[in-house]
Amino acid sequence: MSSNYPARGWARIILTYHKFAGSWAWVLHRITGLVLTGYIMLHIFALMSLQKGKAAFDSEMVLFRTPVFLFLEWFLFAFLLFHALNGIRIVLVDLAEGARYHKQLYYAVVIIGLVLFLGMGYIMFTQDTLHAVAAVK
Amino acid sequence: MSSKYYGSRSSGALSWYLQRVTGMVLFVVAIGHYILMHYHLDSGHTYDAVLSRMQNPLYKALQISFVVLGLYHGLSGTWSIFRDYKMPGWLSWTILGLLYIAGVGFGALGIATILSF
Repeated sequence: MSSNYPARGWARIILTYHKFAGSWAWVLHRITGLVLTGYIMLHIFALMSLQKGKAAFDSEMVLFRTPVFLFLEWFLFAFLLFHALNGIRIVLVDLAEGARYHKQLYYAVVIIGLVLFLGMGYIMFTQDTLHAVAAVK
Repeated sequence: MSSKYYGSRSSGALSWYLQRVTGMVLFVVAIGHYILMHYHLDSGHTYDAVLSRMQNPLYKALQISFVVLGLYHGLSGTWSIFRDYKMPGWLSWTILGLLYIAGVGFGALGIATILSF
């Protein structure tokens, strides 16, 4: 059961890892997937306060309406967008002819993701939202 | 099939395929959910907004399927990452057991919250 890679070898593996589009897509898909899986469980747990009624939920949401949490929620969208868009890339590679242009698909994932991320940031941090944040304080 | 010599009864083809199918559904549902909850701060952060959406049975059904598909896709994906590493049998079964417990537990919690409306 001993591993082929001793602990001291990990740094070398990370440093020498092939930095090609497909490798990055593979690593980032796993990292974002694990984060999103952890998040959905945390999300379900946090929303249990909905069962206790309006006062309990709204008082909990005071914390989540603070600028720090809004910023964290915005970054959650970056994780979601990468995983979702790269997921489409994986489906195209596996079930269509995507293997022929998987690198171009990866660049498309990054560019489309970045545009949607910035667009969502603009919507989330426009005046209406900022007024709503101010109203809570 | 060589997989039977490694303690697995199936080739994993079905879970591979289901991961892609559930992923395609979640692509729409998860991004839609995020935009719906964040296009305005009040939309996802006030009880009244949640209550008004939950009056629609179709919306509740969509939320339940989101919980089930999201947990299935996430935990199945987590298991597929663990399967890439060689582990003693007891550790492998323990991790798989914990993932099943997490799926059933958080699934029940999520559905209970949705049905409380």
